[in-house]
Amino acid sequence: MRIFTLSLVALMFAIGAAAGPKNEPPQYKTAETKHFTTAEGVELSPAFVDYFYAELRNELTKAKLVKEVIGEGEAVEDADAPKSLVISGAVTEYKKGSVVKSALIGFGAGFRSLKMDADVVRRSDKQNLCVIHIHVKIDPRWNEKVMAKGAAHEMVKEMKKALAEGAKTAAGEATKPS
Amino acid sequence: MPLRGTLRLSIAVLSLAALCGLTIQPAQADEPKPKPENTITIQLGQPVPPPKFERPLKFWIADVTDRSGNPQPMLVMKERGGVFLDKQPTALVKDALDQSLKAANLLAADAASADIVLRVYLFHFGLASGSVLDFFGKVEFSAMVKNPKTGESLEVRAVGTSIANGAMRKKNMQKNVEENIEAALRDATRNFLRGTQLKDAVGTLAKGSGVVPVAATAPAEPPKPQPR
Repeated sequence: MRIFTLSLVALMFAIGAAAGPKNEPPQYKTAETKHFTTAEGVELSPAFVDYFYAELRNELTKAKLVKEVIGEGEAVEDADAPKSLVISGAVTEYKKGSVVKSALIGFGAGFRSLKMDADVVRRSDKQNLCVIHIHVKIDPRWNEKVMAKGAAHEMVKEMKKALAEGAKTAAGEATKPS
Repeated sequence: MPLRGTLRLSIAVLSLAALCGLTIQPAQADEPKPKPENTITIQLGQPVPPPKFERPLKFWIADVTDRSGNPQPMLVMKERGGVFLDKQPTALVKDALDQSLKAANLLAADAASADIVLRVYLFHFGLASGSVLDFFGKVEFSAMVKNPKTGESLEVRAVGTSIANGAMRKKNMQKNVEENIEAALRDATRNFLRGTQLKDAVGTLAKGSGVVPVAATAPAEPPKPQPR
């Protein structure tokens, strides 16, 4: 009985260790984020763009997607350029929402809505690694900066997923017999 | 009857005066004052190494001008008794740039011996409006990079941002604000010194060729303050 319990505990530990987060080094060395542009008709303050830029950098650092997140227009060593990313994008649509609709109807009606596109390119050859489209909705009573926070979080999550898939595909193609 | 009316009027006037007094007094009492316990010290920490320039150059920071339009530049946060800086933001930016240039042996002994003279205009230093959940630190400045021999100058912009977690306790809040502003200052210094804009400007000015890209041509007058 004792042996069975011990082996059960050991098995649980082994499963936990396998399922735990892997401490793999980041795939890319640097990532440069640019200030996002706003499409015509998008009524967002310049402070929103500034805050989103800061929040995106913060989220990239937290996600450990890259070794170092650099500011806009910073130089990168030539040797690091193939392993460096440049992230740029635009706010394509923004709807202010309606507090009245949100309060009276509910179920997401009258929510603030934000649509953004981002391009992730490799610094060395400007090859497009992925294109991200995100759509964020929040309560109209919340600050637009909260929306920026949510958008940055969502964008980095999507980016991580897309880059991991891209890396898997590239690895699969490389190992495929010709 | 007229006496009762006058009495009522006097009471109303007195109540109004008392109410005004009550509303004005807390506003004056809430005005934070700098004290040792609510003053933070901002330091760059590790100097930012500038990139290698084509030929060895010496820089000199002529002056740093505050163009933020902030009447209280040392007050970074008004809420909860206030948080103050121990030095003027202009002095902090000058120290950060001086420290980094000195560490890389790129700082001239005086203005006369410098190859490049920098005149910095500070647009923002401290906290900016962010979400209510965290602190958003921002340092933004622009520098007129001038070759004193030819008199040519170019403008280089730099911005540094940082986001730190919010805090409930005053002590933690002050610590987070300090770390946040330090990170933003480091980021702005790095953005300026390691930016391609400075490298290109120095390259153009050092040549003294007089060929200045149209987009990067410096205005005749120093940059105007940004609307807050």
